[in-house]
Parts: sequence; structure tokens; C-alpha cells
Amino acid sequence: MLIALLPETILVAAALVVLGLGVSVPKSRALITAATLLGGFAAAAAIFLLPSDGNFLHGMVVLEPLARMFKLVILGLGLTAVVFASDSFPETHFAESLALVLFSTVGMMLLAGTEDLLMIFIALELTSIPLYILAAFDKQSRSSAEAGLKYFLIGSVSAAFLLYGLSLIYGVTGSTNLQAIARFSGAPDPLLIAGIVLTLAGFAFKVAAVPFQLWAPDVYEGAPTAAAALIASGSKVAGIFILARILTAGLGSWAGSAGWGQFLPGWAPVLALMAAASVVLGNIAALVQSNVKRLLAYSAIAHGGYLLIGLSSASRGSLTAVLFYVVIYALTTAGAFGAVAIVEKQRGGSRLDDFDGLAKSSPVLALCLLVFFISLAGIPPLAGFFGKFYLFTAALGNPSLLWLVILAVAMNAVSLYYYLIVLKHAFVFPAPEGIRPANAPASGFLVAALALAVLALGLAPDILLTPLANTIASPARPGATASTGVPPVSGARHFLCGRQPPNGRDARSPLAAPRHPNDFDAFACRKPAAETP
Amino acid sequence: MNSDYLLLTIFLAIAIVFPLIPLAMAWAWARLFSPAKPGKDKQSSYECGIESTGPAHVQFQSHYYLYALIFLVFDVETVFLMPFAAAFLKLPVSAFLALMVFLLLLVEGLVWAWAKGILAWK
Repeated sequence: MLIALLPETILVAAALVVLGLGVSVPKSRALITAATLLGGFAAAAAIFLLPSDGNFLHGMVVLEPLARMFKLVILGLGLTAVVFASDSFPETHFAESLALVLFSTVGMMLLAGTEDLLMIFIALELTSIPLYILAAFDKQSRSSAEAGLKYFLIGSVSAAFLLYGLSLIYGVTGSTNLQAIARFSGAPDPLLIAGIVLTLAGFAFKVAAVPFQLWAPDVYEGAPTAAAALIASGSKVAGIFILARILTAGLGSWAGSAGWGQFLPGWAPVLALMAAASVVLGNIAALVQSNVKRLLAYSAIAHGGYLLIGLSSASRGSLTAVLFYVVIYALTTAGAFGAVAIVEKQRGGSRLDDFDGLAKSSPVLALCLLVFFISLAGIPPLAGFFGKFYLFTAALGNPSLLWLVILAVAMNAVSLYYYLIVLKHAFVFPAPEGIRPANAPASGFLVAALALAVLALGLAPDILLTPLANTIASPARPGATASTGVPPVSGARHFLCGRQPPNGRDARSPLAAPRHPNDFDAFACRKPAAETP
Repeated sequence: MNSDYLLLTIFLAIAIVFPLIPLAMAWAWARLFSPAKPGKDKQSSYECGIESTGPAHVQFQSHYYLYALIFLVFDVETVFLMPFAAAFLKLPVSAFLALMVFLLLLVEGLVWAWAKGILAWK
């Protein structure tokens, strides 16, 4: 039974070994980094090799193809942060910083593989607490301390919101298991609505959606860049994934509708409003930033808005698109932060001026930066374009959501301006005198690899999209009964196609709305999954 | 229903008046009869215990908090160890192993803190 947690166990063991190395051989950075990466690779192998899918401890731990896939993605992002940290973190407490990255990654992986509210909360805290420490890790810098404190205070208050919301949902439905919550068919209860709204507020903090975005710019700017990369990529993927799972697997029948003229109360209109506000505020505030990390923070707020648009359309196709886009966004933003980290190491800052003449002083890095920023802006041959294209077409599977998509596309045009400003500094302005390339080979290779990945996913999005679609559409392997005697969960089908609402509300629900006849239909479920008794 | 609230109101009134009577009596006694003899001991904040020295708003060393944190971990650990010890003979081997893993994690934390020099009072 506990074998399902083998990848996480390996990572925790690796983190403990790294802590031990930190006190026995604190000077040998290479050894410590190698041990960390080795643990990560072993965990990745464990994810591949684990024998059976299933549902363990009444849904506390769920292992199915989609969870495996996202555990791998999150692990990859965690190891990316490890590599960036190995090049940029200070000598003191170096091993501890890598161990904290591993602990946080464990939390995110647990988050990807559970469908129980209690476990979700614990995993979320396990993710957040190491991130608070990592944000404040640069002890010499006042802004890092500020980032850590702000992130900690706002994060813990949001955790309180979330916990209160989850407790109300539990109180009304009588279960912490998402499948059981989905089977609850009582009348819409004001208490339940309060619970859903509080839960959404808690998650909105995590994904930095307006009006809960205030921490993001300060944290992204002040935190050490490797830590900011993890906050922006891994924690975003885990947050969006679990939010999508809670909303679709657990609260699917309370979606409501955010359509123009078809307003129905539920979580979809709340998400749509937050999405609209995030897209507008994120993109407009980014226009006036002079620090690239801060600019990336506002861009992250805007991208959180795009993702929420997909979620608020509450159709199955859009969910595939959201998960596809969040992976692409995470790869791109991790790469962008890696590039910023190298520039910071070269020139001692991440202001726009520090990017002057980057194309002359380090052309490959400038090219990578071009790829990442153009992809974030959504220009065709790159992955960001296809991600946004799929996201918006899939959101239009609910045609009454056109107003939101038009707003997002218009704001996306605005975003091109500030991405190009950075590139203008890098490609047009002359380089200052006396710039030496930074000695960060590992980060450099990784940034180049990420840029290639973004390019490849843009040219052939099928590489990621087909496996993602297959895992979402395919039922779990037969015979994957858990040893606890809990009936098998039919894997990802439950996640997306779990059940139609039992009462008459489904006729009005966008879940039942005819989908846009695009290729996303191929990923949607052909028939409702079997009910778990 | 009404009589219930009436009862509560009466209780409330009594609850307010009852402590006021001795306080008023003490105040009246002090005003009318007791001689005023202020002294060093009588004027001090606390009549018993050790006399306080220096201002109370001093900074603690941050080491103090680290000690407190580590102490707290092992303090809470006993809460888990006590029921384990009480039911020890009835528990399966897996429970023993689980608790040993738990202890190992805590001990590794202590060893780490020790090696980092946190336990040395500077």
C-alpha cells in the first residue's frame, strides 16, 4: 500500500541525505548537488516503475496515469530549480536550500496524487512552508527578507481561508473525499456556497489571481531567483492541477455558468470574474515595471487569469487545454527565471538596464530569452501560442464565454509590448563595458534545453498533447483494486468525466452544453464512467 | 420561553451585583478606617516573589527561540510515545517500525542542529 508513495519516500530520503552531507561536507557543492539530482532521478524512475494504479487509504493517495504524468512534470520543475540553485545559492546553508527544494517538491507531488481534502491541505502546507523559507533564503538582502515575510503572512492567512472553506464543504457534504462530495445531492446550501467561495479564495492566493495577487510582485522580485522559479513554475502547476481536480471531480455540479446573459450562480462566475480582473490588472501593471522579475510576476498574474478562464468554462475539453497550458507556461517561466538568474550573476541585478546588449555579450542566452518571452507573449512557432490557442478555443466550447475570451485576447496583445521591451534592451541597446560571461554552465545548459523544449512543443505540440489526452481519456487499468478493499477508481476518467449531476441542474450546466466541434472532442469522454458504489 | 429569559436576566443582575458588594465594602473600609502608611513593599507591583530588576523590554538572543523550537519537538514527541509505550505489547511489528522511523527523523533533526552549532550558546 505504501509502495504508492515510493517516489515521495525516495525524495524525502534524498533530502535527509543531503541535509547530512550539508553538515559533514558543507564545502563540496558538486557532491551535494549530485546527491540531490540522484534522488530526483531515482524518484522519477520510481514513478515510471511503480506497478499498479489504484486508490489507497480511501482516496488519500491516488495513483493513476494523469497523476503520474504531473508528478513527473513537477519533479522535473523541482530539479530545474535545484540546478538553478546550485549555480546561484550562497555557500552558507547550501545543502539546506536544496533539501528544502526537495521537500517542497514532495508536497507538490503529493498534491498531484490525492483526492482527499485533508491530504490536499497537508500537501499544500508541505509545499508552501519550504517555499516561505526559500523566499527568505538570501540573508544579506532586505528584499529577500521582505519577500519571505510577505509570502509567509499572506500564505498562512490564505491557508486559514482554505481550511475554513474545506471544513465547511466537509460539514455540508459529510465527507472529505472528492468522489463522495460529488455524490452529495442535497439542496444548494448557503453554507456550501460560503465553503466554495472560501476555498476559491484560498487557491486564488496560491495562483496569484486578482484580488489576491498582492504578494506576487514582491515575492518574485525579492526571493532568490531559483526560489522564484520554483514558486512560479512548480507551485503553479500543482496549484492549478489540484484546483481543477477539486472543481471538476468534487464540485462539478455546482459550476454554474459565467456566460454572457446566461449567468448561473456557482464557482464558474467567481472564477470568470477573477480571471477577467487578473488578465486586465496583470497585463496593464506589467507595462510600467522596470525590474524583469517583477515584470514576470505581473505576467504570472495575467497567465493565472488565462488559466482560470479555461477552468471557468467548465467543459472537459477546456480542462485538457488548461493542463496542457499550465505545463507549457511552467516550462517557459522556469526557463525565463533561469535566464534572469544567469544575467543576475553576470551583472548583479535584474533591472531592465541590466539586460542591455545581452545579444552581444552572451548571444545564446539572449536567444533563449527571446524564445521564452516570445512564447509567453504567444507568437506562433512557439509553445505559448499553441497553448493559448487551445485554451481559448476550448474555452469557447462554452460559446457564451466569448466576452471573456475577447477580453483575454485583447489583453494578450497588450502583453506583447512589455515582453518586447525586455527584448529591445537585450537586442537593440548597446552593452555596457566590462561584462564577463557568468560561470554557470549547468544553468546555461538547462536554460538552452528548456528553450529547445519550448520550441519543440511549439512545432509539435502532439508530443505533450497526445499523451495528456490519452491519459485523460483512458480508464485505469483493470484489476487495480487497492489492498484496502476500496473499490477501484477509474483513474483520470473520474477526474474529468466522473459523473453527471444527479438532479435536473445538469440540463443548464455547461458540463452538459454541446461542445465546440474541434479536436478536443477526441479527448472528451465517450460515455460516463462507472459509478463507484 | 419568556420565563427562561427572565430567569437569565435575574441571574445576570445577581452576577453583576454579587462581586460589586465586596469590592464596594473594601473600598469603603479603605476610605473610612484604614490609616495611610505607604511603604516600599506596599507600593511594589507584586508584593510577593523576587523583586524585578531592569526594564522588561529586553531582546532575547535568537538562540533562545532555536532552543525552544527543538525542545518543543521533543516535548510533543512524548505525547506520541506515551500511548505507544502503553500499548506496546499489543502492537504489530509495523507499528514499531513506523515509530522508529518517526524517531529517526526527529533524531536526524537534532543531530543536524547539533552539527550546525545551534546548541552552542554564543
